[in-house]
Amino acid sequence: MFETSSGGLLGLRTELDGIPMSGRIASLKAHTIVDERWLSLEQALIITESYKEADRLRPDEAKVLRRARALDASLRKIGIDIAQGELIVGNRTKGVRDGVVFPEAGNEWLFREIDSLATRPQDPFSVRPEDKTRFLEEVYPYWKGKTLEDYIQVNVGALNKEIGKVAKINQTDHAQGHIMPDVKSWLDKGPAGLRAAALARLEGEGDPTKRDFLVAVALSLEGASAFILRYAELAEAILGGEAAESGTPAPGGATGLERRRGELCEIARICRALAVRPPETFHEALQSAWFLFVILQMESNASSFSPGRMDQYLFPYFEADLAAKRLTLASALELLECLYLSFNKIVYMRNSEGAKYFAGFPIGFNVTIGGSDAAGRDMSNGLTYLFLKAQEHLLLPQPNLTARLHRASPEDFVDGCARVIGLGSGMPQVVNDESIVPALQRVGVSHEDASNYGLVGCVELSTQGNNLGWSDAAMFNLSKALELALNGGLCLLSGKKMGLDLGNLGTYASYEELHAAYRAEVRSFVDRMIEACDFVDRAHAVMLPSPFLSSVIRDCVGKGIDVTAGGAVYNLSGIQAIQVANIADSLAALKLLVYDTKRVPAARLLEALRTDWEGEEKLRQIFIHHAPKYGNDIAWVDAIGSAEASYFASLLEGRVNARGGPYHMGLYTVSAHVPMGKNVGAGPDGRKAGSPLADGGVSPMYGRDQKGPTAVLKSVSALDFSKASNGTLLNMKFVPSFFTVDEDRRKFNLLLRGFVRSGIHHAQFNVVNREDLLDAQEHPERHRNLTIRVAGYTAYFTELAADLQDEIIERTAHGLS
Amino acid sequence: MNGIVFDIRRFSIHDGDGIRSSVYLKGCPLRCQWCQNPEGQDGRPTLWHFPSKCIECGDCVAACPRGALSSRDKAAAPKGPKPDAGGFIRIDRARCDECGACVEACPTASLGFVGRPMSVEEVLDEVLADAVFYDVSGGGLTLSGGDPVAQPDFSLALLRAAKAKGLTTAIESCLYLSTAKLLEFLPVTDLFLADLKAVDPVLHNKGTGFDNALILRNLWELADAGARMKVRLPLIPGHTATRENVEAVAAFVRSLRGDIELELLNFNPLARDKYRIAGLTYALDGVSTRFSEEEMRRFRSWAGLS
Ligand code: SF4
Ligand code: SF4
Repeated sequence: MFETSSGGLLGLRTELDGIPMSGRIASLKAHTIVDERWLSLEQALIITESYKEADRLRPDEAKVLRRARALDASLRKIGIDIAQGELIVGNRTKGVRDGVVFPEAGNEWLFREIDSLATRPQDPFSVRPEDKTRFLEEVYPYWKGKTLEDYIQVNVGALNKEIGKVAKINQTDHAQGHIMPDVKSWLDKGPAGLRAAALARLEGEGDPTKRDFLVAVALSLEGASAFILRYAELAEAILGGEAAESGTPAPGGATGLERRRGELCEIARICRALAVRPPETFHEALQSAWFLFVILQMESNASSFSPGRMDQYLFPYFEADLAAKRLTLASALELLECLYLSFNKIVYMRNSEGAKYFAGFPIGFNVTIGGSDAAGRDMSNGLTYLFLKAQEHLLLPQPNLTARLHRASPEDFVDGCARVIGLGSGMPQVVNDESIVPALQRVGVSHEDASNYGLVGCVELSTQGNNLGWSDAAMFNLSKALELALNGGLCLLSGKKMGLDLGNLGTYASYEELHAAYRAEVRSFVDRMIEACDFVDRAHAVMLPSPFLSSVIRDCVGKGIDVTAGGAVYNLSGIQAIQVANIADSLAALKLLVYDTKRVPAARLLEALRTDWEGEEKLRQIFIHHAPKYGNDIAWVDAIGSAEASYFASLLEGRVNARGGPYHMGLYTVSAHVPMGKNVGAGPDGRKAGSPLADGGVSPMYGRDQKGPTAVLKSVSALDFSKASNGTLLNMKFVPSFFTVDEDRRKFNLLLRGFVRSGIHHAQFNVVNREDLLDAQEHPERHRNLTIRVAGYTAYFTELAADLQDEIIERTAHGLS
Repeated sequence: MNGIVFDIRRFSIHDGDGIRSSVYLKGCPLRCQWCQNPEGQDGRPTLWHFPSKCIECGDCVAACPRGALSSRDKAAAPKGPKPDAGGFIRIDRARCDECGACVEACPTASLGFVGRPMSVEEVLDEVLADAVFYDVSGGGLTLSGGDPVAQPDFSLALLRAAKAKGLTTAIESCLYLSTAKLLEFLPVTDLFLADLKAVDPVLHNKGTGFDNALILRNLWELADAGARMKVRLPLIPGHTATRENVEAVAAFVRSLRGDIELELLNFNPLARDKYRIAGLTYALDGVSTRFSEEEMRRFRSWAGLS
């Protein structure tokens, strides 16, 4: 009803404008955002028990079946809870925002760090003494030598270490995640229907590997149904007085209690139903979708199982309920906000190094709204605006909300996005159908699937429900490769030999010679990196087959092949090239100052780089101010960045990963520009040794772009985005007046239109002023709710480590006049 | 044809329709005591020191062949930004012949020329860098300054060339030039953003150094000719920001033509630092704050604006 008549949509927007956040949501929000997070060992103990039993009873059973049994046991045994006022139930632990120990993936980091976990600077977790003891005595010893991490360490640990400063291989001690399940088929069939389909597929299958896989799929889905049913039973137990809800009861006395009893009855009814049949109403569909994501987390404990285009696949339920008057806009919004809160109940506990790279434990519930269909028609609908409204109300880090824009995006939608962006949560981030759809087609995705793309995790591009994109396979530090080329293959920081010795800055006779040496360095690392990535990919298939996930990724059941082994329709691997700005700035400065104008002798610069500009501050300033920088729309500098990114992409082209799909390039770092910068010595762009690289992915170096946002967009658009099909990240920052003053916001909307026309995949906008941030550093307690876009996701500012806070404060603020 | 340009600012969003680029031209016929861009008043390129980045190395002093630069005594004044004392470097304009040696020598780009000669094509080239944004927004080129009427022929040539490229055009001006010349702007200017400081000639003269008869007449002529225009009144404490003046300007604008909008611009105290750096005296040195929302509402009500 709402998507067809514009009058209806206008009416909906006006009505939505008048809906305040309900008291229920406000109190649930306080319950969700607890200050202290705990390590949770419960599932680790269940999994360990399940494996020990399998050792005794079924020692020869296939890994996929072991994993299915361990999941099934977890789903049946893990402690569960319903909180006061909750309408959408379900979590993977009884506590909120617990850090789950997941022994199958790897325990070495926790063994090393368990004592510092509570006090580490980034993303600390408290540890109960008994959990520490049981981890050290029961979990860690059993798993020693049996984990994914161990398997990878034994086989390619040395290789990963050897190339690690240039090419950092990811997913070596945890499951892969970064995938968008086929939520629509989960909603259409439910766990029971999917199980029936797997069993039907098993009929007549002779291949024992495939049989094991299909049996495991069915087993995991049985566990799923059982898990959902347990929530019905818990709700009933609460109603019967045998159990209690957590949290504080809402005020309202006897009427409040009566209302809550009604809600619990409804929760019990819905969960009973969802255990055996697909959802029929909007409330049921939201609940069903949430169970899917909880169970995916319980199977894999990984970052980024992303819901994708929720405003599309949930719309039929929403529309039908509104038409049948089963639902009002206010009640639909409240339910959706309950789901938003649920997204914040799960965090992902990384090791201390990982927490630096992905600070603020992003869990990557990326929801994509708006956008066009395969024929280019706009697909935004009434529900799309509810997603924006819920974001406006809650301003929490999850979901990671993404808005798809295209040439024909309605002004209402663009302006709605701008208003919400202006609230400062950094969301929605915007992505560009016009550039992304063709880029995905370039790596073999059909037009129809490409048109249905959504974002995974932070900014990774994926099709919905049929793609293991492996989007975070590795991060490649181009600046480090340049450093090695400038210094005869020796690391500037440690003096160790890491790369090829092709000469050094003092011996290259021309810029061309230097440039060729740089590329040779890159090439030699790419070859070894691919070898490592291939192994890690295969290791996941051996060690962490994922039958439940496979049940919601198209073609896995059809082919009888697990998703980790190549069962999906699309099997990509993404490698990030890091960082365009630093490479463009460095090569441009070398070319201009050392070779073209010969203002600075090569030997003097090399010495300055070796000593981190010791006694050469004036020289450093010359390299900063007398050579033009990426981000200012200077064609020849931008062309260098573009050429090097494209060169990197060309090195990946034609390579086939372990699942038979292509490698391709991404240009984003999330927050990894800080730790990756620590690995790089002084650079010809004027960078000091160990300081952060440019942030985001394709953003200019902070403070170096001085011509305003259109110039930044122009510089960035010089990159060949058709080759960055794994995703890109551009950070921009605006002061609040851009969004609060109507006339200014209209200009911002026009800038978004310009962004679409520029063919850039992605941009995100922070809205902050410096004083806020400085005050938040001083008085974190006053700013607990201050969320900030780090890069690709939103985290609590006060939860970020001090150096990342500093760096955010330093970033250029556009729009300051 | 060459003109003297001292800045081209992209994504200029308060000077006309859509996303625009503002081209700042050197020179201004008036001498407003509160001028926001004192570096733009003088028609020629001039050397300026920007102390915020200066690392006080003294290389510029050594590089100058004419002894036109001197540095503050480091011992007497410890390092750090000293807005009261101006920048680290002093420029003796009588000696400087704008050779540029110091600009080249300064490692931090803390010395630079305000104003450089540019051809119409060069300016247009830079402006067209944002063509895609003008295209999606109906934006284009705004001439500002200084005041574009100080270089009328260059301004006209630039506007004509921009129109030929399909850009919308605007000028920001005090309209202090001969009426005949002003009317030449009509066919190539889509929007006139006219600054009017005061209706009372004495008040105008006191603040700007010039009489306003020509300005008022030009506003009439433009209105009569049907130009699309907007009048802007900068609210300067102790000068233009009085009830009488606001009411008089509003009445004058209403009498021009029914559809001409009046905009009140809040005082911007940030210009002060520019004067100090340049060693110039600033008439409004003691005034450091903008008008509050409340005060702005009062001004608007005096002007009969909602
Ligand atoms: S421009 Fe030339 S003359 Fe003027 S101060 Fe600089 S170096 Fe001296
Ligand atoms: S203006 Fe430049 S050259 Fe002169 S002292 Fe400052 S930094 Fe050094």
